[in-house]
Amino acid sequence: MKEYDAIVIGGGPAGMSAASVLGDHVKTLILDENDALGGQLVKQTHKFFGDHAHYASKRGFEIAKELTDEIYKKPVDISTASTVIGIYPQNTVAYVKDGREELVRYKKLLIATGAMERQLPFINSDLPGVYGAGAIQTLMNQYGIFPGKRFLIIGSGNIGLILAYQLAQTGAEVRMIVEALDKVGGYEVHANKVKRLGIPILLKHTIVKAMGDESVQGVVIAEVDDKFGVIPGTEKEIVVDTICVSVGLIPLTELAEQAKCKIEYIPELGGYVPVRDERMHTTNSDVFVAGDLSSIEEATTAIIEGKLAAMQIVKDLTKTDLGKEISDELKTLDIFRSGPKSFKIRKGLEKMGIKVPEIEVPKLFQTPIENAKSKLHAVIECTEEIPCNSCESSCKFDAIKVGENINTPPIFDPSKCTGCAVCVTACPGLAIFMEKLDESPNATIGIPYEFLPLPKFNEKMWGMDKEGNYVCDLTVKRVVKNPNKTNIVYVELPKEFVDDVRHVRYPKKESPFVCRCEEVTLDQIEKIIDSGITDFEEIKRMTRITMGPCGGKNCKMITLGIISRKTGIPISKLSHGTSRPPVKPTEFSAFLRGDEK
Amino acid sequence: MEGRILEHPILSFTRQKRVRIFFEGNEIEAYEGESVAAALHAAGIKVLRYTPINGRPAGFFCAVGKCSSCLMEIDGVPNVRSCMTKVRDGMQVRRQHGKGDLV
Repeated sequence: MKEYDAIVIGGGPAGMSAASVLGDHVKTLILDENDALGGQLVKQTHKFFGDHAHYASKRGFEIAKELTDEIYKKPVDISTASTVIGIYPQNTVAYVKDGREELVRYKKLLIATGAMERQLPFINSDLPGVYGAGAIQTLMNQYGIFPGKRFLIIGSGNIGLILAYQLAQTGAEVRMIVEALDKVGGYEVHANKVKRLGIPILLKHTIVKAMGDESVQGVVIAEVDDKFGVIPGTEKEIVVDTICVSVGLIPLTELAEQAKCKIEYIPELGGYVPVRDERMHTTNSDVFVAGDLSSIEEATTAIIEGKLAAMQIVKDLTKTDLGKEISDELKTLDIFRSGPKSFKIRKGLEKMGIKVPEIEVPKLFQTPIENAKSKLHAVIECTEEIPCNSCESSCKFDAIKVGENINTPPIFDPSKCTGCAVCVTACPGLAIFMEKLDESPNATIGIPYEFLPLPKFNEKMWGMDKEGNYVCDLTVKRVVKNPNKTNIVYVELPKEFVDDVRHVRYPKKESPFVCRCEEVTLDQIEKIIDSGITDFEEIKRMTRITMGPCGGKNCKMITLGIISRKTGIPISKLSHGTSRPPVKPTEFSAFLRGDEK
Repeated sequence: MEGRILEHPILSFTRQKRVRIFFEGNEIEAYEGESVAAALHAAGIKVLRYTPINGRPAGFFCAVGKCSSCLMEIDGVPNVRSCMTKVRDGMQVRRQHGKGDLV
């Protein structure tokens, strides 16, 4: 049986960063069930929060590629498409590859199996079309397959919010996000990205049941009381074809249990988790854990935990002195977790006996911005204490300050801002905008834009507010394409709306079809009448209305009614065109005489 | 909305070689590198099996090999996770009815 100094199970962010460190020092094997390393990062298209050293501003799939490339440069044995099925006695890992069981031995084992989506039982929750958030991302972002057309998302944590945004990027319609609590679970900046697209987040609402025979065709939602019970009479039916469940993740602890690690139920960390110390050592002296398995958190913390575990393994096996490196990583973790959004994690770790130092997030004060209004400058709308400093690292002119604790919201010095807009493209929360407000009646704003098609110069668009409501018409003045795909659309708009508009979209007006043969809408006809053309024959020639196969039987009276309504001329006084044969669709061959062809 | 995403604001999808797979005997479009469940979804097929006790339609839930909801009969073998099995040219895929036979 082959023996390794260290075996890593799971090739996600935690496992990859660990294997990378281990490979430099000891004989290492990394096992992953998928065809490629990367874990769930491969399907993340949003930019990550965090700090510069830990891939902030990079998109998940890009981070996966960087970590994978790094690992392939190291002397690490990599076995993909390898499904670990159990941990056997005498430090043995059993996995299946190419349909055969393989056994390998370890001196030290790192389990980084991650987590899976929490199930939510409701009536018909087993119906096809009820999918976990990760499943939808796999289809859409990994395989490039449309997961559905109309969506309901359950849960407003970061995953639900990110998913809503990603679905909108494919052109899907997200009808709403329902959240049982009375506040949004995820980061405010993620929620704002979604709200300004016009996707409502319904708080204190839950799903009652899915409807459909062979797959989802609709959903019943309802309001809940303080004990999460459905309030009778508040039920509503919504037409959707896909229901996305994103109500949290649960750690995959089976292998840790089989490796005789003590498991405890700590809901703040995600449920049952392996008991471990701050260096990721479990109650089994040969076994370590890292990433979502140890506590449901973020890719950044998973990467740091993976490194920590690996360093401790190296230290245990080779007596290499890594004390300094380990304490540096521990400090980074402590700072990362010092914000209010990490409250639960801190509480959970304390329950496990891990001391989390209390680090205050410094409050910085924003200097008034007035003096800079006449030039193009950034506007930062990031007030929540979340662990991210990508704006600070992106600014070459020291105009943005976050400081040592990356949970501190940024402060901005407009006098140093040159208007370069690099921070707009770097911000993972898309919470930075550009603004220019001078003496002219129109203002300019720059909006981060990650949709297709990309607007063009001089196009007329709609300005939408933070809740996705129409504010005003505006004109595209400049479009800056960026390699990281966060493009900036600069638009000109009336000054008074400059603080309201946070998104632009193409005008969308639903209009009923008047003519079903030639597909002419009410809106088209009204526009022609508004332009001064009121004669039925003119409108007919311009739109082909009444000229299709039905000969006007469907649409003539409706069109005359529209003309009459808009002009005030009674229908009896309007000319109504000339009827010509054939009045029914007729084959040309019907008109042939004798043996004509 | 069914089928494959051709244009995306962030990602670019390059499809690999076209392969022929058969669902209940009928050929459907599939490309190397895709999972069976993904190719079926692109073809509008969401029901992957009927459950053993109540005969209810079931599809995938997690799509990453954890939930075992997507078990199908692939090339005559039952209980195969269709989300973790990549398409192969000539593959025969069938909905699984019940628990599947051992031999």
